[in-house]
Amino acid sequence: MHGTPDDHLISRIAAELRRPVPLRPDFDARVMAAVRRDIPSLPVRAWTWLREPRVVAMSPLGGLAMAAGLAGLLVVGAVSREPIADSRKPIADSREPIADSRKPIADGREPIAAASVTFLLSAPQARSVALAGDFNDWDAARVLMRREASGLWTVDVPLTPGRYRYVFVVDGRRFVADPAAPRAAGDDFGTPTSVVTVGGGALRAAGGSL
Amino acid sequence: MVEDGSDGVLVRRVLDGDTEAYSGLVARHRERGLRFAAAMLGDVAEAEEAVQDAFVRAYRSLRICREPDRFGAWFLRILVNRCRTRGAMRRRSERVFVRDEAALEHAAARPAGDHEWREEIDRALARLDALQREAFLLKHVEGLEYEEMARLTGARIPALKMRVKRACDHLRVLLQEVDDARDP
Amino acid sequence: MNVRVLMLAAALGGLVAPAVARAQTERLAGRLDDRTRAAVTALVDSARAAGLPADPLVNKALEGASKGADGGRIAAAVRALAGDLARTRAALGRSATEAELVAGAAALRAGATPAFLERLRGGYPREPLVVPLAVMADLVARGVPADTAARSVLALVRAGMREAELVAFRQSVERDVALGAPAGAAAAVRVNAAERDFGISATGQQPPSAPPRPRKP
Repeated sequence: MHGTPDDHLISRIAAELRRPVPLRPDFDARVMAAVRRDIPSLPVRAWTWLREPRVVAMSPLGGLAMAAGLAGLLVVGAVSREPIADSRKPIADSREPIADSRKPIADGREPIAAASVTFLLSAPQARSVALAGDFNDWDAARVLMRREASGLWTVDVPLTPGRYRYVFVVDGRRFVADPAAPRAAGDDFGTPTSVVTVGGGALRAAGGSL
Repeated sequence: MVEDGSDGVLVRRVLDGDTEAYSGLVARHRERGLRFAAAMLGDVAEAEEAVQDAFVRAYRSLRICREPDRFGAWFLRILVNRCRTRGAMRRRSERVFVRDEAALEHAAARPAGDHEWREEIDRALARLDALQREAFLLKHVEGLEYEEMARLTGARIPALKMRVKRACDHLRVLLQEVDDARDP
Repeated sequence: MNVRVLMLAAALGGLVAPAVARAQTERLAGRLDDRTRAAVTALVDSARAAGLPADPLVNKALEGASKGADGGRIAAAVRALAGDLARTRAALGRSATEAELVAGAAALRAGATPAFLERLRGGYPREPLVVPLAVMADLVARGVPADTAARSVLALVRAGMREAELVAFRQSVERDVALGAPAGAAAAVRVNAAERDFGISATGQQPPSAPPRPRKP
C-alpha cells in the first residue's frame, strides 16, 4: 500500500507480536505424554484390571483406628475442626508435601487415617436431631447429635478423605439440609442434601503396587 | 529430540508407528502456535492449553492430513479452531472485567516502557472483534496470504480483507496515542 | 472367614471372593424390599465386575431407602451413579481411588466434561484430585456455570493452588454470591485475582524480555 506512518505503526505492532512467548519448560513433555496416552481403547478384559495396582477401599467405620498425628488431613466442608488426636497441631499447609499421608496403599490391615469432622445445626426448637449420610449407612437412628444450651446440635464423626453426602433428621421425620454446606449433585430423591469433602489423600507412588 | 527430516518425513514416520517422531513436529511448530494463541486469547496459560490441545488433536487425526509436507498449516488451522472454541467459552466472563478495566483507566498515566507497549497492544487486541483479531494476526503477524487464510478459516477473501482493514483501523485509533508517548 | 483376611486375599489375588461381595451388599438387608434389593444387588455386582467400587452404589441405595424413595427410583439412581463412576474412571484412569471416583462422578453430574477430568489427571498425575473435583461441583451448586467452574479450578490448580486455597476460593465465591454477586462473575473475578496473586506460576518462570501479562479484560 502507501508507506504512511499508519502502516509503520501496524508493522511495529506486528513486530512486537512476533516476539516469542515464554513456554513452560515441560510443554513438550506434556504434549508427548498426552499423545502417548492416546491409544485406541482395548476391550476391558477381567484379568487386565485385576492385575493392575488398585487401592482397596475399606469402609471408613469398619475397624478404623484413629491414627496419631493427623496433621496433613484437611477437612473441607461446612464445619471442620482440628483432628481430635492432637488439637494443638495446626492443620498442615496443603501446598507442602504431606508426609504423613504417604502411607502404603491399603492392604486390608493398615488403618487409613481419618479426620474428625464436626457437624452442626442450630435448631433450638427440635427435640432430637440425627445425622444420616454416606458414612453411616444413612441410618438416622445411629448418630444422634448432642444439644448444647444455645440450641446448637453437634456431633463429631471420623472421616477418611473423600466426599460424603448427608442430611440432618429433625425429630425423627424432617430432613433438613445443612444451611452452611454445599448442596449435593445428582438425584437426591427429592430431599435437598448436603455434602462434605475431606481432603489430604495419599500421594500416589509412581507405579504403586500391592 | 527428534528433529531431522521435513514435516512430511516426520508425519510419515508417525503414521508408520514411530510415535516419538511427533515430538519433532511439536518442537518445530510450538513457538509459532503459542505466539498466535497467546495474542488471540490474551492469556499465556490458556494459550498453552490451546496449543497442547491442538497438538493432540492433530496427532489423533494425522491420518487425514492431506499434505504431510504442510503439517504446519494444517496444525495452525486446528489451532485457530481451538482458539475460536475457547474464545466462545470465555465470552460469558468477559463482562466481569469491566471493573478491572475501569480501575486501569483511572490509574495515573505512566511513561510507556517496552513491556507496557506489549500490554497496551494486548489490551487493544482484546477490544477487537474476535474474527478481526484472528484475521489481523494471521495476516500481519503470521504473514499468511489471503488465499491461505481463506483455506484456513473458511471465510471468503473479501470478507477477510475487510476484517483486516477494520482491525488495523481500530488498532490505530487505540494505539496511536500510546505509540506517540513512547520514546522513539 | 475373617472379612479383613478375605479382603486382603481379594486384593492380592485379584479375585472378588463371593463372601466379600456379599458383605458389601449386606448393608442393604432390612432396608429395601426384596425386589429392589435384588435389582440393586445385580447392579452392584455388574459394576464390580467392571472394576467399579461397590460402596458408593450401596450408599446411594441406602440414601434412597432412608428417604423413603420408590424402589424404581432407587434402582435408577444407582444405575446412573454406576454410569458416572465408569465415565469418571475412564477419564481419571484405573489407579483412581474410590474417593476420587465419587468426587469425579459428582463433578460430571454437575456438568464437568470428561476432558476436564483428564486434564486434571494429566496435569497432576501424582496428586489426589478429590478436592479440585469437589470444589468444581460445589461451585456449580452455588450457581457458577459448569464451564466457568471447571476452567476456574483448572486455572487455579495450574497456578499452584492446592487443597486449602481451593476451598478458600470456593468459600470466597460463596460469600460474594451471598452478598448479591452473580455466581459466574464472582468466580471469574476471583480467579483473575488469584492468578495475579500467584504471579507467574502459570508459566513457570520469569521471561527475560517480556514480563508476565495479566489476564486480559
